[in-house]
Amino acid sequence: MLLRCRIPLASFELNIDVTFDNRVTAIFGPSGSGKTTLLDAIAGLRHIAAGEIEIDGRQLFSSARRINLRPQHRGIGYVPQEGALFPHLSVRKNILFGAGRNQDIGNAQGISINHVAGVLEIDKLMNRPVTKLSGGEAQRVALARAILSCPQLLLLDEPLAALDIGLKERILPYLARVRDEFRIPMIYVTHNLTEVLTLADWVLMIQQGRLVAQGVPKETFRSANTILQLANDEFENVFTVSFAESNREAGTTRVSLASGVELLIPYVPRPANASFQIRVSADDILVATERPMGISAGNLLSGTIRKIESLDGEAMLTVLAGDEFFVRLTASAVMRLSLTENMPVYLIIKTRSFRVL
Amino acid sequence: MIFSFETWHITLFSLSVGLASTLLILPFGIALAWLFARKEWPLKSVVETIVLLPLVMPPVSTGLILLKIFGRRSPVGQWLYDLGIEIVFNWKGVLIAMAVMSFPLLVRSVRTSFSEVNPRLEQIAATLGASGLRIFFAITMPLAYKGIIAGALLAFSRALGEFGATILLAGNIPGRTQTLSLAIFNFVQTGKDAEAYILLAITVMLAFAFVWCSEWLLRTGKKR
Repeated sequence: MLLRCRIPLASFELNIDVTFDNRVTAIFGPSGSGKTTLLDAIAGLRHIAAGEIEIDGRQLFSSARRINLRPQHRGIGYVPQEGALFPHLSVRKNILFGAGRNQDIGNAQGISINHVAGVLEIDKLMNRPVTKLSGGEAQRVALARAILSCPQLLLLDEPLAALDIGLKERILPYLARVRDEFRIPMIYVTHNLTEVLTLADWVLMIQQGRLVAQGVPKETFRSANTILQLANDEFENVFTVSFAESNREAGTTRVSLASGVELLIPYVPRPANASFQIRVSADDILVATERPMGISAGNLLSGTIRKIESLDGEAMLTVLAGDEFFVRLTASAVMRLSLTENMPVYLIIKTRSFRVL
Repeated sequence: MIFSFETWHITLFSLSVGLASTLLILPFGIALAWLFARKEWPLKSVVETIVLLPLVMPPVSTGLILLKIFGRRSPVGQWLYDLGIEIVFNWKGVLIAMAVMSFPLLVRSVRTSFSEVNPRLEQIAATLGASGLRIFFAITMPLAYKGIIAGALLAFSRALGEFGATILLAGNIPGRTQTLSLAIFNFVQTGKDAEAYILLAITVMLAFAFVWCSEWLLRTGKKR
């Protein structure tokens, strides 16, 4: 996808020039950095002063060639932050609203309502008025509506921002399922690191309307040198693991990281897909300078501190223990243990601190 | 008998011409209200002001302007007369006066209800492939319909109460152009107080019913 556009805004100018070709591209940046404006511009809902937008060789906009496709003809499925469900229509009528779209523009393969409803688990909501949906249900319906219009590209504008933490936990897996089931390229706007690490294979970091960095999420965040600034409230490590075995009586599952390091996570039945994602908060990992004995935690990993980044009494450690783990400590803990870069340490992680996506 | 033939005739005449004038202005009112609420165009504020003028101008002044426009000596009046249409001093004059005087109320009310429809819903409908016409009829209208009905009721009530413009354009001819308001005026002038009070009671009841319905619709419409 080619995205080159210049849009004057009230306090700054959005000026982006980027080419990318990925399944899920995250646009990451603080509030007010122009992320929603960018999505609106791609969808044709916003005037662009100059530029070019091209998806799969199809030009949606070109100021030089005077091309400006109307939103109707862009073949884009847009899920705005607030969901924007049509309040006077039932769930079924909402999700079928765009289903009649000419499929030549969008995704050639037809997508059935039953398939979408099954993946997003909204089959039982079909005849409900949308005003009677919870926040999480409404987001899934908005997502279903966009997918059923068979778009060539899905735009998701902070779909989890309005939800509380518990609900986010429950919706994130649906987004991952949409990514894996329908294979529609997505642009996902967020200011949450965990969402980027979980869903995206490419990230564009924008600030004040400018692209400041782009790349594979984990590497981009690491080289951005500002993980602590980016991680506002919560920061989670996200790993793709492969299933080894699970033991119901013991309440545990053994999985292995790409590096071969094994982890003990809470019991899950053997998943259909041998590889899946797990998460652990950077705040839930303990660091020890000597090998601890007699502890209840199921995971004791030995590793090396690669980097220590400090800000406002907090420190973010990047520890290589097979894979890279981010560990957030207080500055006091770093001083007390005299932690330095390249120092060997042990990471202690409770089995139950891991969550399966 | 309280309701004489004359009372019935006046009431029915007022109601039917009022209804016809409301139906006549409804499509134009909706279209203009939508243009005011959703589009930016040159001289928009000038047009908005002109549309609202009959609301604040003395009705007799509006009536005089209408008389000048539709009188047989004007080009428009002459042209209509050549087509066999005469506006002045018959029911068509009543219709025009009612339509012009109630138009601003309709436009204001409908514009407000269009403005209250979240434009984001229309934008998202567009990304889902809906044409402008489909967006209007499937999203905007259903979400604003209570405001539209409320506006139409308000316009209808205003039409029934019309006096100043009607008397100048259509006169006060019993059995031909006499509406409820004109008849009350006539009865009081000629000392027929009892008849005037009956018509007064009818107008109060009708106005109450229409305004009450209109307010109720606007209140429930806002909850969307």
